[in-house]
Amino acid sequence: MNNSSPYLARLEEIHLSYRHDESWLKVLQGVSLDIAPGEVVGLVGESGCGKSTLARLLLGYRHPSSRIESGRAILEDVDLLGLERNSLDGIRGRRVALVPQDPTTALNPSMRVGAQIAEVLCEHGDEKSEEEITARIIELFENVGLPNPEFLVKRFPHQLSGGQQQRVTIAMALACNPSLVVLDEPTTALDVTTQDQILRLLVQLRSRLGIAMLYVTHDLGVVAQIADRVCVMYAGHVVETAATERIFSEPRHPYTRGLIGSVPRLDLDQDKTARPLRGLLRRSQLPKGCPFQPRCDFTEPSCAEVHQHPVEVASDHYVACQRWQHVEQEEQTRLKDVPESSPVTELDGDDPLVEFDDVSLSYSQPGRLDKLIGYSPLTVVHDLSFTIRRGEVVALVGESGSGKSTIAKAVSGLLPPCKGQIKFNGKPLPGQLDGRSEEQKRTIQYIFQNPDSSLNPRARVRGALGRPLAKFFAMKVSEITSKIAAALEEVRLPKTYAARFPDQLSGGERQRVAIARALVAKPSLLLCDEALSALDVSVQANILSMLEDFKKDREVAMLFISHDLAVVRSLADRVAVLFNGLMLEIGDTSAVYAPPYHPYTYALLQAVPDIERRNEMHENIIEQETSSGGRACPFAGRCQWKLGSQCETTPPPWRKVTGKHSIRCHRELDNLTALATD
Amino acid sequence: MSTEIQINSDQLEDAPISRFEALKRVLRQSPMSFRIGGAIMFVHVFIAITGPFWAPYDQATIFTGPPLMGMSWEHLFGTDMLGRDVFSRVIHGAHLVIILSISGSFLGVALGTALGLLSAYLRGWFDEVVMRLIETLISIPYLVLALLLVTAAGPKYSGEPTLVVLVVAFVFAPRVTRLARAAGLDVVMNDYVTIARLRGESAWSVIWRELLPNASGTLLVEFALRTGYAPVLIGTLGFLGFGVAPPNPEWGLMISEYRDLVLASPVVVLAPALMLASLIIGLNMWTEGLARILGRSVRHEE
Amino acid sequence: MVTLLMVSVVVFAAIEIIPGDAATRYLGRDATPEALEVLRERMHLNDPAHERYIKWISGAVTGDFGTSLTSGRPVTEVLAPKIFNTVILATVAFLVYIPFSVVPAVFAAANRDKLMDHMISSINLLAVSIPPFLLATFLLILFVITFPILPAISAVTDESTVGEFAIAIILPVMTMAIVMAAHTMRMLRDNLIEVFDSDYIRMAELKGMSKHRVLLRHALPNALGPSLHITALNINFLVSGMVVVEKVFAFPGFGRELVDALLVEDQPVVQATVLLASMVYIFANLAADLGSMLLNPRLREQ
Repeated sequence: MNNSSPYLARLEEIHLSYRHDESWLKVLQGVSLDIAPGEVVGLVGESGCGKSTLARLLLGYRHPSSRIESGRAILEDVDLLGLERNSLDGIRGRRVALVPQDPTTALNPSMRVGAQIAEVLCEHGDEKSEEEITARIIELFENVGLPNPEFLVKRFPHQLSGGQQQRVTIAMALACNPSLVVLDEPTTALDVTTQDQILRLLVQLRSRLGIAMLYVTHDLGVVAQIADRVCVMYAGHVVETAATERIFSEPRHPYTRGLIGSVPRLDLDQDKTARPLRGLLRRSQLPKGCPFQPRCDFTEPSCAEVHQHPVEVASDHYVACQRWQHVEQEEQTRLKDVPESSPVTELDGDDPLVEFDDVSLSYSQPGRLDKLIGYSPLTVVHDLSFTIRRGEVVALVGESGSGKSTIAKAVSGLLPPCKGQIKFNGKPLPGQLDGRSEEQKRTIQYIFQNPDSSLNPRARVRGALGRPLAKFFAMKVSEITSKIAAALEEVRLPKTYAARFPDQLSGGERQRVAIARALVAKPSLLLCDEALSALDVSVQANILSMLEDFKKDREVAMLFISHDLAVVRSLADRVAVLFNGLMLEIGDTSAVYAPPYHPYTYALLQAVPDIERRNEMHENIIEQETSSGGRACPFAGRCQWKLGSQCETTPPPWRKVTGKHSIRCHRELDNLTALATD
Repeated sequence: MSTEIQINSDQLEDAPISRFEALKRVLRQSPMSFRIGGAIMFVHVFIAITGPFWAPYDQATIFTGPPLMGMSWEHLFGTDMLGRDVFSRVIHGAHLVIILSISGSFLGVALGTALGLLSAYLRGWFDEVVMRLIETLISIPYLVLALLLVTAAGPKYSGEPTLVVLVVAFVFAPRVTRLARAAGLDVVMNDYVTIARLRGESAWSVIWRELLPNASGTLLVEFALRTGYAPVLIGTLGFLGFGVAPPNPEWGLMISEYRDLVLASPVVVLAPALMLASLIIGLNMWTEGLARILGRSVRHEE
Repeated sequence: MVTLLMVSVVVFAAIEIIPGDAATRYLGRDATPEALEVLRERMHLNDPAHERYIKWISGAVTGDFGTSLTSGRPVTEVLAPKIFNTVILATVAFLVYIPFSVVPAVFAAANRDKLMDHMISSINLLAVSIPPFLLATFLLILFVITFPILPAISAVTDESTVGEFAIAIILPVMTMAIVMAAHTMRMLRDNLIEVFDSDYIRMAELKGMSKHRVLLRHALPNALGPSLHITALNINFLVSGMVVVEKVFAFPGFGRELVDALLVEDQPVVQATVLLASMVYIFANLAADLGSMLLNPRLREQ
């Protein structure tokens, strides 16, 4: 290694374009970035800003349909962009390694995981004999906290959990002690608690091995946990670079401020220093000057014309904005204008809309024979009892596999309960869709997670919104047209969108159309199944505020399903926490987010990467396996506050905290409060 | 406040191009194979439609000249053993082959699509029954099945062009059903189908509005592909003596009839052979290009 | 197994609906009613259809397919030597076909969208498009008439030596191998390219694996699985192709026997051959399933 240069890797004034139909689309426009030895740099931006493209250049990788106009990607004094494939093979995996976004697709499905690491060692490593290689792999597996490494090396990728697979790819990256590791959204495809474990592992590896990292992510919360320095990208430009501490305490660029303002907070009482972003990144309407100008609240006319160069505003703090000095001041005055958001409306009228009475759900319906011999198929949701009142938002929170979507399916009529009953408007709700009245089908509406699949790609927006109107209200064409315009306006889309096809809309816009489609039926219950999870933070924040308005104006009740405790914080009246199909805690939102917590709720809250808790990771690198936890408390296998054998043998009792807040745990409430405040 | 700004910023987006414009753009950028294949097909279709009007002789008139006279200006491709004009027979053959191919494959694809999509949407016992039936029919080699069907129809109908169309459709239908079912299952997984189901739409409504438009690309490619297979099957049947009966000027039949004449007058075999080959090549190239435009892959089988 | 049983029903039913019964066919149209009645009684033709089916299928399970109507010998005895000939022909064609499909596919995929790929793909398109009977005819004209180096007919007998046999099957093998390879090569190339686009291939490149290793160790095993199924489909194709090729080259095999039996409506022979042909396909499919299971660890567990 050359000690004369202060940096390990450097991207210099990169201009890169992608082929788009016949023309070239500029994706990176003069981007520069340094990484010092042992430093962790966080590269943050919304989807489509070019961050992954930039990061992969450090591995000398270019997409076949891209073209580099100028710039250099230097790693240890070698320009990777000038190298042939053969020379790159010697650097990749040895000097610089990649941890991919989605380990389920990045590992070769037909090779054992051990062999996939062994080939890296064979090509690049010092170990040559088979014993040495095996020993090294086992050492690596131990380092990344994989239990039972001798057993795991012989497994195929699909036999490992998502978290384990990601640990394997991390071990693969570390195999030859590279000086730089590029991590491309390594936790995006994982559950919150698994993400938390992987982050802890990375923090621990960094302090132990001193490897430099480039951590690419859209999630500011994650960056706050791990990075020394943060680099914010927008539309192919670096708009701000500063030390992590500084970028959160004193963001200067309007985009950075908006991004931070868009992050959903666990803590609502915190003084907001910035407002959420508005609008969308549209490549087709970028001005010549500052790319952020169309969405900026602080813009002046010259912004659109003048190219913005990074200016050093403090030591090692660079901002590419000509108005950075005015931003802080203007924001303060603006924030004062914003009316205080009204506190959550208290619903005292006990007017139940949906009642779950001891409902169990299962995907395999018991056959006649099974009923005869008393065999019960695997249930996904057990003994669920709760109510949603008219106009109330109840959030169901839990990890994937906790059965939260299954509950929504049961309400919608896609999955009849195998035990118990659901009541709607005081009357029993037929389990099968066929048994329901037109009225019931109309008043229960579903919004799905993935906006790509919730709209028919071959139908215009007009068709998507018109069909329920025609079906439920038998409207005439002229009436439908005006209704569609009104519905679009309500979800804050221009009415000209009626003529568009879904592929002419962005993800957020599609989700708005899906919401409009549900609303035109005038429902009394909306089932929102992870409706915001697939969207960028800024879009998420906008739709969230829109849903809050509907709640106030239209008195529509929602069953809001999410894996993210932070997202539901501001919207939900009540929160229910689910684990492996069992409800563990339910109560008013404010009560659930304060002690006493159920141990699982506490674990979830701890796992949320919050920008207010920067670099506070405690070490805990061994993966905690989800065990079924016997027949009793499903969380017993992972519980950090487990009492003893009783958790595994007897079902935990419900304990009432207040009238509406209950926790299902073996521990006493005082005890839980004490544990959480320690 | 932020509401209005947002609408404004969205409107800055240039208006979406119409589907017609998009089609023109696609055609302008269409792959080479699409254009060449299209040109070959155009020639064939032109001959098929107008050929009967300008062909110099009727296809069945015997002794238009001396038998096996070879190429000349009066008889471009010479005459056969009965003195029929081979050029006219080939031209009339184009008419026959293309009509048989298109109707056979259209019937097969239509039947298969209806059955496949219904099966994909309904699932349950209906799907089971359809799939068993399909499996059975597919496991009989397609030519063997076709020959069996022709034989089963009995001597009264064999040699009829209608029978050939029905046989082609029947051989294709199970294979199309399988494909349409798979394409339908892909679409059924999408949430918009669930939404339609939750709205209480009828099965046919969901198939017509949601499944068919989204499977249409795959099915269109399949139709084009099948139209390319049809002349092969029809020609093979004719060649083996199980297709349309003489004196119909079907190319496969002509090749088999004239095979022994190849030493005396090679052109009488080559002319129908090259016509058949060029039609199939043209169709396949066009299909290939079409598939590339639609972003689908061509699945050649059998 | 269920499929095979259903195939037998279909075959039986198809033969059953042929107008005129076996006795009439056996004795000809001029037979006296008395003679017909005696024969019918002897052939159990007066029994109800399902009883005859059960009798036939239980015989078939034990290898007794009845007696050929034309030769009067047991079906098994008639078919055995033909099957032997066909199996040799098919095996040789199959062995030739594998390298002819894998090698060009790998070259085309590795040089995707470059000259090599376009050239291979164009030749491939030609090969896919030409119907087997046409290809056989072309090869015949080329090697027998233009360059007379091979015999026109491949009529081997029991007395033929191994050498004669080898020469006799050159052209049939070539035809079959070219047609089958064309389909598989195309599929394998597309599969390879699809695999090349996957995350794990990019990952392998980004961890510094050489081009060769990426191609042979990472891409090929994952692309072969789906191609195996195409090979199974090709068995279906092989049987259909055999019918044509054996007819063209007058090769005394299974396929030609089927056509001849169909032409004279020799019911027991037809039933036996169709059933055997389907059986071959079903077992090939089973083998392909097992093969892809070996290649794909995820399927192995189920």
